[in-house]
Amino acid sequence: MVLGNAPRPRRSRLRLAGGLALAGVALAGCAASVAPIAPGTIAVVAAESQYADVVSQVGGRYVSVVAVMNNPNADPHGFEVSPSVAREVARARLVVQNGAGYDDFMRVVEEATPSPRRHVVVAQRVLGLAASIPNPHLWYDPVTMPAVAAAIESDLSRIDPAHRAYFAARLTRFDAAMGELRATIAAFHARYAGRRVATTEPVGDYLLSALGLVNDTPFRFQADVMNGVDPAPQDVGTVETLVTARRVSALLVNAQVSSPVTSTLTGLAESSHVPVVALYETMPRGFDYQRWMRAEIDAIEKALTTGRSTRRLT
Amino acid sequence: MIHWFVEPGFWSNPVVGTALVLGAVVAVVSAAVGVMVVVRGQSFAGHALTDVAMAGGAGASLVGASPLVGFLLAGIVGGGSIEAAGAERIRDRDVGTGVVLGAAAGLTALFLYFVSSSTSATGSTQSVLFGSVFTVSPSVVPLSLAVAAATLATLFIVRRPLLLSSLSPELAAARGVRPRAMGLLFVLVLAASVALSALVIGAILSTALLVGPAFAALRVARGLVGATLGAIVAGVAAVELGILLSYDSFYWSAAHRSVPVSACVVGVVLVEVAASAVWSRLRRGRGR
Repeated sequence: MVLGNAPRPRRSRLRLAGGLALAGVALAGCAASVAPIAPGTIAVVAAESQYADVVSQVGGRYVSVVAVMNNPNADPHGFEVSPSVAREVARARLVVQNGAGYDDFMRVVEEATPSPRRHVVVAQRVLGLAASIPNPHLWYDPVTMPAVAAAIESDLSRIDPAHRAYFAARLTRFDAAMGELRATIAAFHARYAGRRVATTEPVGDYLLSALGLVNDTPFRFQADVMNGVDPAPQDVGTVETLVTARRVSALLVNAQVSSPVTSTLTGLAESSHVPVVALYETMPRGFDYQRWMRAEIDAIEKALTTGRSTRRLT
Repeated sequence: MIHWFVEPGFWSNPVVGTALVLGAVVAVVSAAVGVMVVVRGQSFAGHALTDVAMAGGAGASLVGASPLVGFLLAGIVGGGSIEAAGAERIRDRDVGTGVVLGAAAGLTALFLYFVSSSTSATGSTQSVLFGSVFTVSPSVVPLSLAVAAATLATLFIVRRPLLLSSLSPELAAARGVRPRAMGLLFVLVLAASVALSALVIGAILSTALLVGPAFAALRVARGLVGATLGAIVAGVAAVELGILLSYDSFYWSAAHRSVPVSACVVGVVLVEVAASAVWSRLRRGRGR
């Protein structure tokens, strides 16, 4: 709750008003219409905005993409699916989701609206991972999106073979951009590998290990905060000491999730002059996937070199 | 010897320090108010107020306010409604309480849905329903102490007319005590006590801390003063022992999965109630 201190109460009241208005609309008639699809395009639903972005990077003007979770203010773990999502999924030719238990509601909706014409890309399955891995935030791993993009390209080409060459060319361009991102990560690794950090949640852990950073936070603590249960006082003590004794160069917090534990920790980081960096769980508005990852890496680098916090990506 | 019970770092952990202080204060208030609740036969109203507090806590986390403020405000409004809904006959009071309880639970569901779908406050459901004394910010402690002091002072001042109006409303009326005013005042005291215990063991479980130690003490001790002191000892023991057990449970498994504080506290309360039942049966057996 420390994030975005002063304007919060007002924004929250607005949110409350918005929420009540939304409930009113929902009650007034559950006929919320589904956005129309442009003619000649493939209807695609992506569970998270980052996967939606990769779909549009590969599919270009021949896809109409809808992202189910795209509110950077809401906690995706507490997401509940609405009837309009079910309708979007029912008519989609391609669905892209993370899997690994992160967006189980998608599986439920797909089973409720079976369709032989629908292709489903699950990142966890594309990567050959088990369904129950401890850290489901796969998109922070730099190897994930190239593999997912290739799977998307192959499905799009099967759905719309006439534009096979177009999709292949867009995939090549996406891979080139990912190559640049990997080069940035390698350069970071060469300069800062071995630096120590603390986190509140495992959201960015795959990226941190790709960057060569050492996360000293017990995984149990990160998982407890992610799952919304109280971490053990022993673990809270361990993490607080990491920050107050300045054994870490930065505290990385989930920008979309706050709880009393994370606000206390952020406050301690502030008073101990440990920089705080916000990691987003879903792609913030105004970014594409590569620019988002680069912005996070830049924010971490800024914290390590200048000790300055980044509470919000702009 | 003490190291057998107290695992390393217990006394030096700042999280535990806040929990122990807050827990003791809450236990004293709950026990003192609880004795009166049991004497007046208002356990159900006490439980209804926990549901009302739940709605307040959920509302507070929706607008980003302190949960204690939400618990308190909701308790005062809900307590007032319970008294206003009809207090003349016991049956009316029961129904009025039930109506308020249902409405509050519905509001809680609505608020928690908005919290999880539109804000970033995670874990609200867990902390509103089951409490999280290990994550309470130390800044809440002064307000809790003030509320606790005010509650205990009110209870102490009105203890005689309150007890009289509970045991014999006619006699109380003859002496100029107004039962409706007493009822309203006591419901407010009850609301404050429930708000405090909701912080420590959660709204749903605060009934256990309110009624359990008081019930056990009334079985064992003689007189109102003795019962109140006994309830305070039992309540404080339950909370502090529960905190210790929860802390120690971290070391019981290799995976370090600890048992939540609320479960530990309620476990100790149940043991106390069971022990008091055994005690009173033995004593009755001897008396025969």
